[in-house]
Amino acid sequence: MGKAASPGQLARAVVLGLGLALSAAAYAAAVTEEFQIQGLVSPASPKALAAALEEQLAVKVVGFDLRDTASGWPVMRVEFEEGAVTRDDVAAVIDQTEDPTGRMFKVHAGPPVLSVAPLAEEMTAAGTLGDPPSAALELTSPVEATSESLARGLKLYVANCVKCHGADGGGTGPSTHGIDTDPRKLWVWGSAGDAADGYLFSVISDGRTDMPPWGLVLSENERWDLVNYIKSLPPPQ
Amino acid sequence: MAEKIKPPRMRLPRKVKQDEVFKVKVRFDHPSFTGLGRADVDETKFNRAVPSRFIRNMLVYYGDDLVSRFRMSSGIADDPLFTFKLKAVKQAPIKVVFVDNEGERWESSKDLKIKT
Repeated sequence: MGKAASPGQLARAVVLGLGLALSAAAYAAAVTEEFQIQGLVSPASPKALAAALEEQLAVKVVGFDLRDTASGWPVMRVEFEEGAVTRDDVAAVIDQTEDPTGRMFKVHAGPPVLSVAPLAEEMTAAGTLGDPPSAALELTSPVEATSESLARGLKLYVANCVKCHGADGGGTGPSTHGIDTDPRKLWVWGSAGDAADGYLFSVISDGRTDMPPWGLVLSENERWDLVNYIKSLPPPQ
Repeated sequence: MAEKIKPPRMRLPRKVKQDEVFKVKVRFDHPSFTGLGRADVDETKFNRAVPSRFIRNMLVYYGDDLVSRFRMSSGIADDPLFTFKLKAVKQAPIKVVFVDNEGERWESSKDLKIKT
């Protein structure tokens, strides 16, 4: 500006500055809170919840994080002015809102509990079922542990057993997640003599705790091949 | 859950002969859901939506002996009906116990009568 500002221009600048300062103050008071939401079951759910919140309270739903959140639960971000609305107000409205599918929304509190620990009764039940009958212990293997038998055993082991007992027989296969009882370490049978044959055969055939009865799936010779293979597993280095 | 879940209902033959194989039917009204939903339109996988709830174990006792254990996952139906066979070796009550993934437990028992 080359010349001095007129009084009118000055007044306008003052009003503009004041307005900017006021709006900045209002902006500073707005807070964004995150809520973990239970009940977002369909694509219509986020829309319904946002509409209900904005209708009942002076808030703005900024967005949803539906996937890959730290807790596993979807997160809703809500912006509101501090003082006018509190976090508890928003939570109360969420808890009273119904999803289009008929479920109630809920603010998730605490860690996600998928399944509580087994009761003592369940643990006892898992441990007591499946004792082999004494006659089974006296069985002897009709299939010799030849290299052909071991090759067939390996094939069957990979197809049926690896998912729980693991490739090395250490009991840490990929499917062990979520089973109550740990799969047995199979390499311990490596040093067992022929006396263990009947026991192994009977447990494979009838199943035990979480292991299904393989006698329904595999033929008798196939099960003996597996017994031979299990006894050939080396202990871990 | 808003509604209280009632104990299972069991049905046995009125009378069985000694050593006869008989059928047991058990009906249990219990909700079952995986807890998964698909709120994200662009997502092809399911996300966690509500807490999961399903029956985890069913234990069958014949007298004092545990004779069977059924292990279930979130794939089990709502209000399932179980049918299984037992052999009447003694006159004793048959008891079924259900436990769900929240650790809640229900049981019901019925006397088995053997024809003499």
